[in-house]
Amino acid sequence: MSTIIEMKDIYKSYGRGEGKVDVLKGVSLTVEAGEFVAILGPSGSGKSTLMNLIGLIDTIDSGTYTIDGVDIHNQSDRLYARIRNRKIGFIFQKFNLIAKYNALRNVELPLLIQGESSHSAKTRALATLERVGLGDRWQHRPNQLSGGQQQRVAIARALVGNCPLILADEPTGALDSKTGQEILKFFQDLNAEGKTIVMITHDPHIASQAKRIIRVEDGLIQPA
Amino acid sequence: MRPVEILRSVFLSVTSNKFRVFLTSLGIIIGTFTIILVVGIGKAGEAQVADQYSRLSVESITIARARGSGVTTTAVLSKDEALAMPESLQNVESVGVSTRISSEIAAGAISTAVTIQGINEAYADITHLEPLYGTLFTDEDSLMRSRYAVLGYNVANYLFDGDIEAAIDQTVLIKGASFTVVGVLDRIGGSGGISTSVSADSTSADDMAFIPYDVAIKYTSGTTRSGVSSAAQVSFVALANDIDSVKPAITEIQEYIEDTIGSADVYSVTDAGSVLESAQATARTMSALLIAVAIIVLLVSGIGIMNVLMVAVQERTREIGILKSIGAARPVILAEFLLEATFISAFGGLLGAGLSAIAPWALSFTDISFMPSVDGILLGIGFSVITGIISGFYPAVKASGLKPIDALNYE
Repeated sequence: MSTIIEMKDIYKSYGRGEGKVDVLKGVSLTVEAGEFVAILGPSGSGKSTLMNLIGLIDTIDSGTYTIDGVDIHNQSDRLYARIRNRKIGFIFQKFNLIAKYNALRNVELPLLIQGESSHSAKTRALATLERVGLGDRWQHRPNQLSGGQQQRVAIARALVGNCPLILADEPTGALDSKTGQEILKFFQDLNAEGKTIVMITHDPHIASQAKRIIRVEDGLIQPA
Repeated sequence: MRPVEILRSVFLSVTSNKFRVFLTSLGIIIGTFTIILVVGIGKAGEAQVADQYSRLSVESITIARARGSGVTTTAVLSKDEALAMPESLQNVESVGVSTRISSEIAAGAISTAVTIQGINEAYADITHLEPLYGTLFTDEDSLMRSRYAVLGYNVANYLFDGDIEAAIDQTVLIKGASFTVVGVLDRIGGSGGISTSVSADSTSADDMAFIPYDVAIKYTSGTTRSGVSSAAQVSFVALANDIDSVKPAITEIQEYIEDTIGSADVYSVTDAGSVLESAQATARTMSALLIAVAIIVLLVSGIGIMNVLMVAVQERTREIGILKSIGAARPVILAEFLLEATFISAFGGLLGAGLSAIAPWALSFTDISFMPSVDGILLGIGFSVITGIISGFYPAVKASGLKPIDALNYE
């Protein structure tokens, strides 16, 4: 089994001087391939910051982080972009779809960014939309879809590139409980197929559906 | 990302909200239009000055009654005294004489108010009056008191309803007397294009009619001993032998006037060069003013364009954050926004330039004349488009330099 995430002694703070807030105070974390991990914590615990650091959309103050064998210390922006594109499938609480693009182009984007041809990107994106149950909605724009459907488009976008790691930030936070449950079931299916999933949540009930729970409180990981 | 896919993103972006694109480019449209307009008005002003004086030879010297309270004597220089100058003055080659009358001129049922000039051959020669059709009258015609008329281009065009050549040998009525049209002058032209009306105040030969001096003088009131009315506006124009003899000729003429009528102050003697210089100075002041206006226009439209585009791109900071979070590299994002800003700016610039095509028509309802110019169009499009591209690109540079999380959380 290979290690997907290896974080050691991560520190992160915001602001400076008097207003400086230490958000993460020495977090170490390991996630192996094939795991389904929930990072659980109340708001303000630092779990979202941790998630942003794992996803390389924010920068680490100190500590080491290796993702799928790549040490991200002092690398170029171009490499960070490449890692986000090839190694991480991001799913946000607010979906973060591009409103002017239809579902198909939203899902195609990670592939197009990789430099895939329009034809092959379209074939793969359509197959992935089919997989999340939106095969017939590919030409709809986000505002023509329900919240659950938008989240499924976002999941398709995270899946399409076959990234080793799926990162989900409160993926059910903006959905009703029934739709949320469907999404969680889908995550379990994905995990059963071998996908590594890291999910952030503040809800113990949702966290309990993952295989492993990591509790974050006050900027530190609580012993299990 | 493949270039064709970047282009497709731009295409989707501009077609997904056409009204927003139009609003965004509105500043550029108006900016371009205004710049072209200001430059066109400036050019037309310059051209008018150039036109007005294009007929004047640099060797010509104007001898006109001095205006102002300093002139006490009523003594005048008679036509014969003036015309005798070339014989006695070494540096003067010829002397033209002219007088002005305002009159109606009529051909059949059509009539218009016009300025009539009574002139001799030398005057026509010095001021370069050239016939387009027919001929000019001679000094002999003038002595014979032949009632011949030569019409300016616009006058003939108006009286004969566009059929200018048909004016020759027709009869026109001036001051109630019938005159035979012997010639029509070539168009002096200029900025106004062919005018379908005649301006009675115009100083352009296009808007005047010419008759022999000795015929014209009969229609001026209060004739005195020398056949020159004190009320009549009689002026002379002398031609110096060459450019170098202009200065000595002026001195000679002033001495001649003093010897003849006892005072040199009654007439102001000026060479065309200084007349032209003062006109050019006026034109320079005017273009300085227009440049000042143009700079303000550039500033205002530039700020307008920046404002709109910067806000439009800033609002898309979140979109940039999404693109970054799924792995788009900065150059790809910048290429997309640069292309989009270029497209919107070029669209606005061309539309603004197209809009300026109606300027001549719109301004024809006013006294402002407009001359379309390539300079103005290039300046208008160039400035607006470059400002647009910079203002659209700069916020994208800033936004794409943010950490993805900061761009995503941008409100």
